[in-house]
Amino acid sequence: MNILEIDNLNIYNKEKTKTYLNNISFVLKKGETLGIVGESGSGKTLTGLSITQLLDTDIFSLHANHIIFKNENIYEYDEPKLQSIRGNKISMIFQEPMLSLNPVQTIRSQIHEVIKLHVTKDTDIINELTESILIKSGLDEYKKVSNSYPHMLSGGQRQRVMIAMSLVCNPDILIADEPTTALDVTLQGQILNLLKTLKDENNMSLILISHDLDLVRHYADNILILNNGRNVEYGQSNTIFNNPTHEYTKELISSRPKKIVQNKINTKNLLKIENLNCKFLMKNSFFKNKREYFNALQDICLDIKEGETVGIVGESGSGKTTLALSILQLLDYEGNISLNNKNLKNLNNIELRQNRKNFQIVFQDPYSSLSPRLSIKEILSEGLKSFKENLSNHDITKICDELMQEVGLDKNMLSRYPHQFSGGQRQRIAIARALSLKPKLIILDEPTSALDVLVQKNILELLANLQKKYSISYCFISHDLKVIRSISHRIYVLKESRIIESNETENIFDNPKTEYTKNLIESSFF
Amino acid sequence: MNDFSKIWERFIANNRSKYSLYIFLILFIISLFSEFISNDKPLVLNIDNQLYYPIIKSYTEEEFGGHFETEPDYKGYFMSEKISEQNNWAIFPLNPHSYQSINLNKSTPNPASPSTTNYLGTDDRGRDVLARLLYGFRLSVIFALALTIIGIIIGIFFGAIQGYFAGRTDLYLQRFIEIWGSMPELYLLIIFSSLFEPSIGLLIILLSLFGWMSLSDYVRAEFLKGRNMDYVIAARTLGLSDTKIILKHILPNSMVSIITFLPFRISGAILILTSLDFLGLGVPPDTPSLGELLSQGKENIEAWWLSLSTFLVLVGTLMLLIFIGEGFRESLDTRLK
Repeated sequence: MNILEIDNLNIYNKEKTKTYLNNISFVLKKGETLGIVGESGSGKTLTGLSITQLLDTDIFSLHANHIIFKNENIYEYDEPKLQSIRGNKISMIFQEPMLSLNPVQTIRSQIHEVIKLHVTKDTDIINELTESILIKSGLDEYKKVSNSYPHMLSGGQRQRVMIAMSLVCNPDILIADEPTTALDVTLQGQILNLLKTLKDENNMSLILISHDLDLVRHYADNILILNNGRNVEYGQSNTIFNNPTHEYTKELISSRPKKIVQNKINTKNLLKIENLNCKFLMKNSFFKNKREYFNALQDICLDIKEGETVGIVGESGSGKTTLALSILQLLDYEGNISLNNKNLKNLNNIELRQNRKNFQIVFQDPYSSLSPRLSIKEILSEGLKSFKENLSNHDITKICDELMQEVGLDKNMLSRYPHQFSGGQRQRIAIARALSLKPKLIILDEPTSALDVLVQKNILELLANLQKKYSISYCFISHDLKVIRSISHRIYVLKESRIIESNETENIFDNPKTEYTKNLIESSFF
Repeated sequence: MNDFSKIWERFIANNRSKYSLYIFLILFIISLFSEFISNDKPLVLNIDNQLYYPIIKSYTEEEFGGHFETEPDYKGYFMSEKISEQNNWAIFPLNPHSYQSINLNKSTPNPASPSTTNYLGTDDRGRDVLARLLYGFRLSVIFALALTIIGIIIGIFFGAIQGYFAGRTDLYLQRFIEIWGSMPELYLLIIFSSLFEPSIGLLIILLSLFGWMSLSDYVRAEFLKGRNMDYVIAARTLGLSDTKIILKHILPNSMVSIITFLPFRISGAILILTSLDFLGLGVPPDTPSLGELLSQGKENIEAWWLSLSTFLVLVGTLMLLIFIGEGFRESLDTRLK
């Protein structure tokens, strides 16, 4: 039985000068899962929101032949009638649960509110229902959880609460918009499996919106692939994967990270970290022994050879970024970090500045890593100017041109400002900036996590090529095992501020020694 | 730069603040030429077929055939006679009174109500109210601009140091600001105005010593936020010096929000000057000031033209500035449509 039928859905801006969604049609059967896949900006979320017409009518105008939900054309419904469907018959969960929960109300009162609005006003039933739905959502400590405020819960717990809230009225359709993107890999699997069990139990339909093709493939019966607001391919998920017809789909499927790293490894050590400890003051006290610290890094020993990529894997909060900042000498730490047998800790300020050109960093978020008020040329030439003060303007332009070419950008773009570039281009500029001083080591702090799969693949290839050309060493920090696997020679697994395992890449994947690593691998490769 | 043009675009879209800004600028520019609009010296003088420009150049009475080696009173008996002679003529400014000229040949007692000679009447010493308002407005705005600019420079300086270096530096400077800020500003002003001869310069120095703190707090917060931005960390790994990072990376990115404060600070400074003058702690007695006019209005409660006209000028100025500030704030806030 078809529970939802969308025919010829179009979304324009208000003046109809721009089309966001173009002729989208799909059918959802009872108990079925539909995956909507696409890059950022492809219209995935818009499609989800337009089902119950949650779009801001000041910006968007929506047109469709019909949107049939349970044999009724809800496209023609007025606002009060739609309101009775939203959250009741069709509910949604979003990527960032913290933003969807009210920070000043307890979980209990927020769930109660939903029940009161849509189900019943009987207090006993409300309490019973709250309890059962929280347990169902895998929150076993439901008493503690229901009395908590959102900030007291972990990311996974918050997402479970969101799921509980959306399921409390027994909806016919649940729309999950990137439900696990903000979560660690091990949690991702748990949440998706929970959604699957709950879906089967309640015989509801699920619309799973995601950028992650592998993930959708694993859970969805049908898949709709969007690109630039157009329906590129729509069909059964097995058919699409085994037999993609459209070029874009083929590209998307082939963009899953493959091993692109060179095998040859230089034997000389470049970076050596011995017994690195780093702690942050949590509670100050006049007496030294009463001060409380948070240990962000404990007894880290690590080395990177010339021309080698070392992957550092860990969940959020495991100390990955602290490690990066310590190597960059931007934090106080205990222990020794030496580059080319020179202990960086013993250098004075002037010597340290001279040595800084040997190690550079590329950040995760390409939007915050470039100063919005400087042109690309200014950004690229900054480091050059601070080290070689006698460079002429002509030389600088020449070097910048070369840098742009190196990262695959047009040199005519030098006078532009960062906001005129896409995320992938910005990341290329950030890489060019890191390259400008010809460093021996580049620390890559989740450089591809904020990018779409296709762009991610290109950036990884660029990095591999640069390594081949200049034999730069990379310290590649990521939570994404697929990416790490494709680019690293060796891997260190970081858990709760300690290194728990380290080995050659393939050895780790074939033969993980610790339970934690095993878990991590299982949940990132379906 | 692009940000600024976008903000300007949004600002222009708001009619009320756009016209407020235009009106304010026009008034201010006009007031800069007060000497040509309201003065007791003629713009052009023709005596015995020779042209004189007393506003630009000063002449002695001897040059016009008088006895004194000082500048003549162009409205006095001698010069009036001279001008009324055959072929001689003079063009006076629109309002033929300066802010300190006293109309001596008047039949009514001072303060005199508005008449054809004094459009807004005179104050209790017989000086023209319109002239004093015009000059007073100019002085207030220039004073406020100077105070604001000095305050912004000092505020950014300390705020930037506190926010960028954080830690110990921040802690000590913050304690210093707390102690400094708890000094009784008004008493210091009273003490200093009795120790030294009151002057505009002294007032600016004294008020600047205390006026920067509210801004430095704000700059500090912006810098604390900015110092951990990825691009600042990247700049540090590129080996840039602290000064360069502050000036090139953090300051331009927090400038926009500092600028929003400008109109509000200017209106605040005008208010401070006016209230100090009202209390008699401000500028020296001869200087044209809105506060002094207000206090005269209080003394001569029946002379409505004193208090009413000053009140209107003051309220008008402050209102224009607040509308401008509001427009700037709204054009910065991207959440508002």
